Formats: sequence, structure tokens, C-alpha cells
Amino acid sequence: MATETGSKLGLEYRDTNGFGAAQGGRGYYLPVDLAVRSDGRIYVLSRGDAVQGGNGIKITDINHNWFEEISSRGTAPGQFISATAIAFDANDRLFMADEALHRITIFDADHNYESHWGSEGSGDGEFDGPSGIAFDSDGNLLVVDDKNQRIQRYTPDGRYLNSFGSIGDGNGEFSFPWGVTVAPDGVIYVADWRNDRIQRFTHEGNFIDACGTTGHGAGQFNRPANVAVDDDGNIFVADWGNQRVQAFDKDWNFQTSIRGAGELSKWAAEYIDANVDEKQARSTFDPYPELDVDDPHEVSARTEPYFWDPVSIALYDATRILILETGRHRFQVYEKV
Amino acid sequence: MTTAAKSGTDTELIAHLLRRTGFGATWEELQAAADLGYEGTIDLLFNPGDPESMPSDIIRRYHPDQSITQIAPSSGSVWMYRMSTTKTPFEEKIALFWHRIFATGQTKLIQGKVMLTQIEMFRQFGLGSFRDLLVQLSQNPAMILWLDNQDNHKDNINENYGREILELFAMGVGNYSEEDIKECSRAFTGWTIANMPYMSIRMRNNTLRPYGYVAWQYKFDPEDHDEGEKTFLGETGNFNGDDIIDIICKNPATARFIARHLYHHFIADELPVPQWPFEGPKDPEAIELMVDAYFANNYSIGAMLRAVFESDMFKSEATQYARIKSPVELVVGTLRLAGGFDWPTADIFKATAACGFMGQALLAPVSVEGWMGGDDWISTGSMVQRINFASATVGDPTKKGIKSIIDQISDRHPRGLVTPKALVDECLELLGSLRVEDDTKEGIVTYAMEQGDIDPRTDDGAGKIVSVLQLIVSTREYQLV
Repeated sequence: MATETGSKLGLEYRDTNGFGAAQGGRGYYLPVDLAVRSDGRIYVLSRGDAVQGGNGIKITDINHNWFEEISSRGTAPGQFISATAIAFDANDRLFMADEALHRITIFDADHNYESHWGSEGSGDGEFDGPSGIAFDSDGNLLVVDDKNQRIQRYTPDGRYLNSFGSIGDGNGEFSFPWGVTVAPDGVIYVADWRNDRIQRFTHEGNFIDACGTTGHGAGQFNRPANVAVDDDGNIFVADWGNQRVQAFDKDWNFQTSIRGAGELSKWAAEYIDANVDEKQARSTFDPYPELDVDDPHEVSARTEPYFWDPVSIALYDATRILILETGRHRFQVYEKV
Repeated sequence: MTTAAKSGTDTELIAHLLRRTGFGATWEELQAAADLGYEGTIDLLFNPGDPESMPSDIIRRYHPDQSITQIAPSSGSVWMYRMSTTKTPFEEKIALFWHRIFATGQTKLIQGKVMLTQIEMFRQFGLGSFRDLLVQLSQNPAMILWLDNQDNHKDNINENYGREILELFAMGVGNYSEEDIKECSRAFTGWTIANMPYMSIRMRNNTLRPYGYVAWQYKFDPEDHDEGEKTFLGETGNFNGDDIIDIICKNPATARFIARHLYHHFIADELPVPQWPFEGPKDPEAIELMVDAYFANNYSIGAMLRAVFESDMFKSEATQYARIKSPVELVVGTLRLAGGFDWPTADIFKATAACGFMGQALLAPVSVEGWMGGDDWISTGSMVQRINFASATVGDPTKKGIKSIIDQISDRHPRGLVTPKALVDECLELLGSLRVEDDTKEGIVTYAMEQGDIDPRTDDGAGKIVSVLQLIVSTREYQLV
């Protein structure tokens, strides 16, 4: 059961999709971002690691159907080393950022490698660790240029347009920003990661306001990683360091906070059913054991249903949101109530 | 050893102290410690401030694998970051010490999270009362599953932990009976983890499915605890594990056993532990010094070590450079000399792997007895690994620690020319007041003379300084601490 506070918007747990697939195949390994295509297919960016693998973009849907995976670890065109984010343009082309190779890779709607662009540096059109990406209301791509502490804007074919932001903690300044999203009204939201706040900007990149201070309370953040905004202006923040998701209305009024309630997914249940010894042992499993720690990261490590490193949020439809967890190789589905 | 770098005696003693309690010191760190003096430096060691190591959120964001630590290269690298960037290396040295004694390995436990939790426990309790440390150890989930105490039931004991706490962790062979082992094991029944059946079988099956590892939580199960009367080391009562630890800690054999381990780690290489029941300690007086401190200070490990560091024995010529660096000491010490890590990098995995290639894979001791150390560290293969790693690390003039050494030499010679002998002396000093044998130094000077006088302000001069540094870290003496 999700933990709910607040009085207006609530989030109720509905489902879990995922499975730890370090060696590849159906499931994810250290996923860092997800995106929903226009036909409802869900793309999960499985960053993996250099030892076990599990690297690729995995494709599923809301009903646990498994389709295929694209891309892999490497430096060749279409591959990645340390991918950070994915996003679709209006034509279902898939864009992927890679903070190790400092480039943006594009796949066409049929998943064929199309092109890539970007190089390391701090000048216009250069990156030092591209992180979150999102399309603005004109169809141009916003790229969080993490260690250059700025947001850059490009045409979809990689032509540099402009940028905003610099290092600092003042309005419009950043400290290692991570995720970016564009709301239906065109407002740009940036997860200003090490400043523990979310900043809003106009379409042009002018500062509007910011929400959040460092802490564990309602409306406070510990290294927020990403944001999603629905048609009503409700804001959902992946409060990564606090291992939770917080929701706000369009005026930053706190609505609810959830800690996670993951259950065995369809794929996970199939695995358990196929392994009798583990199934038998799991029959006495208490998913919420009494703990002697209170650090959120440690609590999540010991509590299977809780979010562990919630890193990204995607809107699935008008009522459902998807919350991706790096640590548990899955996403949880919540419904707005 | 007769050749000293030109630093004064007090500086050399402080350098010795910082090699033993940390991973050596850069010239800058040595100067700061020299301002405090030897006693002041000891005070600081026991009252450290914030480690100011690389922040965990930074590591976790850019290395997601090191947030979850499912595999050994990831968990080992988390510790490698800490050791190579901390401002309080004594904490890490203590954690390494206990990791070597209470040898627990990810090889069996599979997940790294519980291993790192154990290492953090060593940092927190490693210098305090040995009693508190043993209680923490006995309740540590990694140790519980490492030595099968989850299978130690009131109606069917498993002696593994009961035996090893006596044999390997606290007293040593010859100081207890087989019956004591059984009674000790009975007292630790019910000391288990939450969700034991499921966690245990997942460890056995070596599977991270379905959702990665779930870190373990200690749990006392009163239903599975043997409440009967026990007789242990001559005392009788309804003992729980805490009572057993009390009895262990007040036994003189425990104090001597721990003192000998401390001697081996902080003073000089001892015989391998399996020989201890048959061969006395190398320095009985040093052992007695620590035993006295142990009983006078509520079993305090810190008090034992402080007594050592303040003793003439520790400061003596014979104690300096009397130990062979462990692979971790060599790797971390060299990384710190070269400037450590400013930001997450894939190079961390190379450093972690290098320790393994040299024979000390972090979080994966070779057996329940840990690493023997001493001569065991050195083989033909490991020497090649050690020299290659050290030489490659100091061979990069862009590393801030190496650049600092070049700048120091340059500042000292504003006119540019440095003679070969001066260059070697200054490199030895700037590598942390390092001493080498006369013939070793002669060889390095001969090499430097082939280069002739150098101008440290030039790229060519900087390159020649680096080549001398590489030669120094390839010497026999650099393998010693």
C-alpha cells in the first residue's frame, strides 16, 4: 500500500513491471530512464554495467508484453557507455543521451540507428556529461549539460540554438542538474539536483520560480532526479535521495508522498513459480521487516516493495504514472485518485 | 638503512606514524602534521573530523552500480573511493585491519551492500571497546550468513560461528575446549536475520532475481534461542551471546591474541596466525604493553594502539619500514600521492582490480583466516603488478599530486638547474620523507646523472622528474611501510 498524505491528489499503487536481467533478456538492469511512445509502448533505458552487461533499451507495454531490445554497450554508432536519458520526438524517433560519450544518438521509428551528434567540451554545442533530455513545445531538444551547469537547446538534427543557466544556487543557476521535462503548457522543469530543488523556466529559458529546500519533510528534497507534469499541472518529483516520489499541484502545494509498494511483477512471478525452492522460501517472506536503520537508502535496500533510487517518472495516460527505480530494476504503476 | 631524506627526525617519525595509521602522507600533509608535532598528530588521529571523502551521492549518481553494489567490483570500488579520498585514513586502516581479522567475503555472500555495512561498522566501532565490537560483529548480518549462524538452532546447533569467534576472532587455538565451542554456539542460537529462509536460499542460489538483492537485517528470534544453562570457560549460567562475549573479553588470552594481531598490522610482520600456538610473539614486551592498555581502558582497541604509537618501540629504527605493504596499502598510498580522484571515473575499477591482481581483492579475503600478509604478499607475479601499478600512477605529470611535486622542485630552484643528487633527495622528501638504502639511492642517482642537471620549469625537466619518481616507487623500499 502506498503511503498517502495530503488531501487533494492521491496516488494508488496499481502494478509492477520489471525483472532483474543483468545478463540481458526480458527485464532491466540498472535502468535510468523510461519513455512512452505514441502507441503506448514503454521504452526502458537499461544502463547496465561494464561487468555483467544488461545494457540496452528494453521495450514493453502496460500489460507486461515483452517486445525487443535495441542498442548495446560500446562506442560504435548506436551504442552507449553511460546512457542517461531517452525521449521521443513527435515522429516517434528515439533520442538517447550518453554522459560518457558526450553525445546524443537518434534512432528512427523502426529502431534503426539514424545519427549521433555532440562532443566533449564547454563551448556552444559541446557537452560535459549530457544528462536529462526533453523536447520543448517547438519540437527542439533540451539537453541538460550536467557538469557545464546549463541547459542547451538544439534542433532535432543537432544544430545548436541557445542555452541558459550557470553554476550556483541563485535563481536560474544550477548545481549538477539532472532531469528536465516540458509541461503541456510549455513550461520547462529542471531537477536542480545538488541544490535540492526544482526550477521552472519559461519556454525561452527565463526563470519563473523554484520549489524545495534540503531535507526530508513535505516539499523538501534530497537530490531530486526527475520531474513529470500532467495536463492539470500536477507535478511529480522523483525525490531520489529520499527514496520517494512527491506530488504537488501547479502552485507547488504539497499533495502526497509515496514510498513505493512494489509486488511481484508478471515476469517476477513466473520466475518464482519456476523455482520451487525459492517459491517455498518466499512463502514466509515479510516484505516489511522491522529495521534498525533510518537512512532512506539503507531502508530501501532492506525493503523490497519500496522505491530504491527512484530516478524517472513518465506519464502513461491521463490517470496513470510510471515510476522507474534503478535499484530494483523495475517500474511501479500508480493511479491518480 | 642509513640514508635519510633531509627532513628532520620529528618529520620522519611523523611520516612513519602516518604510513602506519594511514596510507602515507604527501609532502603537504606531512608539513601540516609537523606543525602539530608527533603528539599532536596522534591526538588528531584519535579525534578525526569529517572524512570529506568523495560524497556518496556523487558516486551513486555517476556509478549507479555503486549505489546498488550487487557485484564485487562495484562494492570494492565504493571502498576504494573512500580510502583514496578520505581526510581520515586512520578510520580506513582500522576497517582494513578488522576486515583482515574478521574476514568476510562477497564471494559467498554474493551481495556487496551487506559487506559495506559491515565495513562501516568497523569504522564506527573499530577503535572502541572490543566487547562492543564483538557484539556488533555477532549481530552483523554479513557475518551471520558468512559463518552460518542462521543455521544455529536451539535444537540443532551449528558450531561454525561459535568456533570461529574463539579460534579466529578473539582467543586463538589452545585457549578453549571443544565443549566451550558447543556451549558458545548454544548461546548464539536465535541470532539470525529477518526473512532468513528466503534470504538464505537466494544467497545459496546466487541469484539477484527477481528485483536485485535485499540487504539483510539482524533479528533475534527468542523462540529459537537456547535458554538452558551453559558452562563456558569455567563459568556457568543461562548465557546469551552477550554474556559469552563478556567472558571472552575478560580472558587474558583474548588481550594477547588481539595485541598480536595489532602488532602484525601496525608494528611489524609476525608469523602466520596458524603458527601462533607454537611460537611466541616476536616482541613480548610490545604485547604486554598493549595487554595492559586493554585491561586498563575497558578493552579499548584505541588505547592499545595509542600506547603503541607513544612508545619508544614504535619510534625505533627497527620498527620503521619493518612491514611489507599490503596491496591495498600500496595501491591506495600511491593513488593518494598522485592526487587521488576528484570525480567519479572508470579508473576506479582499475585501482580496485589492481589490489586483486596483487593478491588482496577487497571484500573477498582468500579464506576465513583472512590474508596472512608479510612475505605472502610478495611473489614474482605480484611484484610485477605492484611495480607496474605504482610506476604508471606516478608517471602521469597531469595528476595533481605529481604536478605538485614538480612545482615544489621548480619553486626551490628558481634559476632552473637541479643536480642529480639534489633531484633524488628532493623526490624522496616529496614522496613523504621516504628513506632508501644507500645502494638503492646510489642506483637512482646514477640513473639521474645520466639525465644530467635538469630544469624543472620545462616539460623536459618535468618528464625527468617523473622518471625519477617512477624509479623510486619501483624500489624494494617502496614496498615497505
